[in-house]
Parts: sequence; C-alpha cells; structure tokens
Amino acid sequence: MISLEAVSKWYGDFQVLRECSVQVEKGEVVVICGPSGSGKSTLIKCINGLEPIQAGRIVVDGTDVFNRKTDLPRLRSRVGMVFQHFELFPHLTVMQNLLLAPCRVRKLAGQEARQKSLALLDRVGLADQAEKCPAQLSGGQQQRVAIARALVMDPIAMLFDEPTSALDPEMIKEVLDVMMQLAQEGMTMLVVTHEMNFARKVADRIVFMDQGRVEVDRPAAEFFTEPGSERARIFLSRILSH
Amino acid sequence: MYAFDWSSIPGSLPFLWEGFLRTLSITLVAGLVGLILGTALALARLSSSRFLSTAAAMYVNGFRAVPSVMVLLWFYLLVPQLFASWTNALGWDSRFISALVAFSLFEASYYAEIIRTGVQSVGSGQRAAGLALGLTPLETMQLVVLPQAFRRMIPLLLTQAIILFQDTSLVYVIGLADFFGIAYRTGQRDGTLVEMLLFVGAVYLVICSVGSALIRRAKTRLTS
Repeated sequence: MISLEAVSKWYGDFQVLRECSVQVEKGEVVVICGPSGSGKSTLIKCINGLEPIQAGRIVVDGTDVFNRKTDLPRLRSRVGMVFQHFELFPHLTVMQNLLLAPCRVRKLAGQEARQKSLALLDRVGLADQAEKCPAQLSGGQQQRVAIARALVMDPIAMLFDEPTSALDPEMIKEVLDVMMQLAQEGMTMLVVTHEMNFARKVADRIVFMDQGRVEVDRPAAEFFTEPGSERARIFLSRILSH
Repeated sequence: MYAFDWSSIPGSLPFLWEGFLRTLSITLVAGLVGLILGTALALARLSSSRFLSTAAAMYVNGFRAVPSVMVLLWFYLLVPQLFASWTNALGWDSRFISALVAFSLFEASYYAEIIRTGVQSVGSGQRAAGLALGLTPLETMQLVVLPQAFRRMIPLLLTQAIILFQDTSLVYVIGLADFFGIAYRTGQRDGTLVEMLLFVGAVYLVICSVGSALIRRAKTRLTS
C-alpha cells in the first residue's frame, strides 16, 4: 500500500533522512517512534508529498508520489492526514471543516456530504458540536474532528503525525480510543507517536528511527521484548520508565 | 483680532458636496482596485516563481520609493496621451482618470505589503492541512489561507483606506477639484480662505476620527 525505498532528504547541508525504507501493507498498523529530531515527522510528511525528497522513491497505492505526472491533489485526497496541532480551519465551523474537501475535491452533493459528515462526527462522539467553531472545542475534541475530517474522504490509508503530543493528558485517551477503533476496523495506518501503550495494543510493526535512519523495523510484540538495537533499548527504557 | 466670516460657507455647500463626492469616488475606486491588484501582487511576491516574485517586488518597492505627488503628476502627463481617445469619447475629465489610475496603482503597492504580511501570518500547518485534503495550492490559498489572512488584515486595510482618503487631497496639484481643492479655490476667490480651510479641515478630522474609532472597535471584535 505504502512503500518507501531508500528515501533521503536534505535541508541545505543537513541530511534529515538517510536512505529510509519502510513498507506498509493494506490493513497494517505501523508505529514510527524515536527521539525528537530523528526525522519521523519529516518522513510521514513526505509520504503525501508535503515535503520534497532528494533521493529514493515513495509509492502509494501503486502511484509514484514524486513522479512529475502524478496528480498530487488527487493522491492526497485519498490519503488521510492528522497533524500534531490539529490544523482545523478556524474560520469555518466544524461541519464546514468536514464538508470542504468532499464538496470541492469530490464534487459531492451537499446533502450526501452532510449526512456522511454527521455520521462521522457521531462516530467520534461529536455530533452535537457540528455547528460550533473549532476554537470553542477542547484540544481532544479538535483532534477528533480532524480525524473525522480526514475520514470523510474515505481514505485508503491514514497518516498520523504525533496526534496526541499537543494534548493535555486527560484528553489523550479520547483520541487514542478513536484511533484504536479505526485500527480494529482494518484501516491502514502509519502513526508517528510516543504512546507506547497504544503501539503495544494495536501496532503490527514498530519502526524505530534515529538520526534520520530507520534503525529498527520489527513486529510490535518482538520490539517490546527485544528492541533490536542499543539505541532503541535506551529509548524504550526512558519512555516506559515513568 | 481676526474677524471670522462664515457667511460664505452655506452658499458653497453644493460645490463642496460635489468635491466631496469626487474625493470619495477616488478613495473607493483606488481602494478597491488597489486591493485587487495588491492581492495579486502579494501572491506573485510569495510565489515560488522567481520571475513573478522579482517583478512584484520591483513594482512594490518602486512605488513605495517615490513621493505620491510625483506619481500623480506623471500619470497626469501620461494618461491624456495614452487614453485621449477614450476619455474624449466618454466625455470624462482626463485629470480625474489619471488621478484614479495613479492612486490605484500607488495603493496597490501599499496593500500588497499588508496582504503579504497577512498571508505569512497564517501558519504553514494550515496550508499543509489544505493540501493534505486534496485541495490544489490555489484552492488552499483561496479557501483556507486568504480568508484567515483578510480577517486579520481588515483593521490595517481600513486604516490604509483612511490615509488614502486624506492623500486624495493631493489631486490639487493637477488642478482637479476635489473636496479640498474646491474649498481652496472658493476661499481664495471670496477672501475667506482661513474659514474654508478650517471648515474642510474639521470635516476631514471628524470623518477620519470616526473611521479610526470604528476600526478600533472592529479590531477588538475581530481579535476576541
């Protein structure tokens, strides 16, 4: 479904990604973890072409993301993305946030899109907030709206970029619950996160990144007992120690 | 003690009103054209095309680096030659047209800078979110970035419009009878220059003060 082959990227002289290769099969949940500055957020942004790469290849559902002929907006409309800071559109209501893409990109009729949006808001437990502005919602609610906004396009896969790291602790669970439900329904997911309990429960594989490299890539169950590298072991012990 | 003579003012009001309408129409046209052209310039300046951004930067910096009186005079000399056939055919005053053109182009350079700052104040995450949903870069600008940018810029754009309203009085250098120009001429003719200038000064003062107060109120509403 998603395939990264020897992806390298530089910011000027600084190499942020060093020949990263990761495969995500249909229905798989892959968690990417690693210390801050290891390139994991950059990597996930490259997957739908939000950041250019200088070497390697990224293929999503058979389409080469960085081929000049690729219709990037069309490809992106089929891949859902959730950001660390939610990035809801503050000048639009919750409902308008959900309707924007289906109406503009898919040219879906208003009524159909509305029903679908309401059903999704209901699914993330926010049907009663449809007419509010994002600023009136808590962080956890905003992030759940952001997930609904991505789901309304019927994505073939979902990318999560640290979806809970900007949230207060008591709101993390409500977002993770929604993500867990998605995973159990068979959604293909690539998740950058430090939530190791989430990873333990739903991830099929864990990718550990350090200094722009994919250092470890192994089944989740195995990763927690045998991290596969000294750095991964230290990272894991630091994160699980409290 | 100077003896004020206000008696000539009531009789001149119809002429002053005519001048006031001219001042107002220059402000509105130049403000609107300046806003549209300024948006285009701002987007050109922010675009990844080096040609577009350099051309826009040259335009903006060029106009901001010369006195507005000079721009006004240039266009006064240029427009009649370029558009003589139009203005004659339509029966328009070529001085009025050249003032409209000059102020529009001039304002565009000021608006462009305000709009550019406004667009840059919208976080890059918002743009990424728009693109990630499958919107094209243009749609993202139009539906996500610009609406937020304009909301933040409204106070600055209106303040610039008030400055423009005052600056239009410069058209007296090309002999165009705006609000100020008519007052000046009438005052000189009747020997009541002091009274006339005090009167129009008071009108400018009231309009601009009320305008500024309204903007301040809008600002607190927009930012709350």
